[in-house]
Amino acid sequence: MTTEDFSILLLTLRVAAISTICILPLGIAMAWLLARRKFPGRGLLETALSLPLVLPPTAVGLLLLELLRRTGPIGRVLDAAGIEVLFTWKAVAIATAVMSFPLLVRPARVAFEEVDPRLPALARSLGVSRLAAFTRVTLPLAWRGLAAGILLAFSRALGEFGATIIVAGNIPGRTQTLALAVFHRTQMGQDSAALRLVGLIVVVAFAAVWTTEWIQRRHWRMRNQS
Amino acid sequence: MIDLELNLPLTRFTLEVRTRLEGQAVAILGPSGSGKTSLLESLAGLRRGARGRIAIDDQVLLDSRRDVCLPPEERRLGYVPQDSLLFPHLTVAQNVRFGSRAVGGGEKLFDEAVAILEVEPLLPRYPATLSGGERQRVAIARAIATRPRLLLLDEPLAAVDVAHRDRILPYLLRVRSGMRIPFLYVTHNFGEAEALASEAILLRAGKIMAQGIPAEVLHPLSLAAADPAASFENVFEGRLEPISASPGSARLRLAGGGSLVVPLLHGAATGQAVYGIAPEDILLSAAPLARVSARNVFAGEVESVEHSTPDVLVRVRAANASWRALLTPEATLDLGLAPGEPVWIAVKTQAFRRLR
Repeated sequence: MTTEDFSILLLTLRVAAISTICILPLGIAMAWLLARRKFPGRGLLETALSLPLVLPPTAVGLLLLELLRRTGPIGRVLDAAGIEVLFTWKAVAIATAVMSFPLLVRPARVAFEEVDPRLPALARSLGVSRLAAFTRVTLPLAWRGLAAGILLAFSRALGEFGATIIVAGNIPGRTQTLALAVFHRTQMGQDSAALRLVGLIVVVAFAAVWTTEWIQRRHWRMRNQS
Repeated sequence: MIDLELNLPLTRFTLEVRTRLEGQAVAILGPSGSGKTSLLESLAGLRRGARGRIAIDDQVLLDSRRDVCLPPEERRLGYVPQDSLLFPHLTVAQNVRFGSRAVGGGEKLFDEAVAILEVEPLLPRYPATLSGGERQRVAIARAIATRPRLLLLDEPLAAVDVAHRDRILPYLLRVRSGMRIPFLYVTHNFGEAEALASEAILLRAGKIMAQGIPAEVLHPLSLAAADPAASFENVFEGRLEPISASPGSARLRLAGGGSLVVPLLHGAATGQAVYGIAPEDILLSAAPLARVSARNVFAGEVESVEHSTPDVLVRVRAANASWRALLTPEATLDLGLAPGEPVWIAVKTQAFRRLR
């Protein structure tokens, strides 16, 4: 493993982690809203949320590019604030965040639906606030599904390619993540160097999935033991 | 004192309750689906859509005309649902502590609740590993650890098998007398209602059919309107006296003057005690009984014969007490039982179960 491989891995992990952490609050709020509340436009919101799953990633990337370019509706604001996004690691994070958002919301929503709504209600009757009932009862009970959603979103972020290459390009050392580097190296005929990266990503993915499973199993055993 | 003026549309009928409850312990009786649980949930603030006014002593919990609706966390009512609803991800200790910390009660309330419900040995365990009766005890401990203004108990014994029933009733009696927390108690069991409550209301299809002291509400006319699946446990309270010839049993001297021979498993034959007997364990005879092994044989008179269940409920006045016996329709016919007719009761000592 070369230092270049290592820095590619670091960049990928860092960006995937940042994007996953950034979508957490909104993703959990959205999942809870869809699971617990009925409101007009709910179906519409659900469909819109699933779009990144069904659209070609490059199409999503292009839409993002339009939004984020200097003359675009969001880009203009960012530009005025002096924030440069396109073709930086921030663009990578935004692309992966958008692409992995539905993968967080779906399992999280199912997880919230599976929590008996009377449990947080009963918690409130014991004197705790609505927020405390959520953080002390709903959230821990939905934890398994949430963890699955976080893992899915993180994995998707690790491997994101199509949207990323459009908004962030494929700039070694700046925006080149593992997926982009594997593509780049095979294009250059450096198959063994690409395979090294593949080996790396397999190890990382395996570790992530295994850790999540392990945490869940341990949690489950503890709860069912006398 | 609870002031109730409640209107809550449900799927099949509207719950309309307008009353004032004065008792320390109020039993709510009625068939399943008569709105009992909805009433408790509205009181606890767990059900949306309730209109009207709810006040406990001087504290207004709901007044829809003045737009007052306290959130559940400010009502300070201890709700114990039928299925306990313990937090599955927390140990018993964490469950009981959940509320006591929220109300700032600290360890004192926790210790008291743990002691009264005797859940000490269960503290490190998770709800999944508890039996139905243990869960109920923990749920009651969790509720009383918040020092509620009022306990709302939704058929706390329904989810519990018969063997555990014997053990939960005494805890409730202890909560009532020891902690002086008033409670509202939903039940199917008329004997329990008599043993626990000082006041009873009978609900049917969301309306109050009868209200008063339990004995009045449990009048045959009211009963006919109530749940056919109800059980009619007989409950007797009295003072224990030793019987020198048999240390395994004792005499229970009833307030009305009669006395029963009851089993004595442990402890001394002194002080007040409460015993129960299931109505199907009572033997009736149309002729005087002589030379029978049962130690409780009394001559009595049939008060009423009610065909409200698949079996026949016969009320008998004997030994200065009221008895409820369940018979098959065939046996009732065979014995020629009718109000005013003489009848003889026989009960084995071991058929009585000590409740307190």
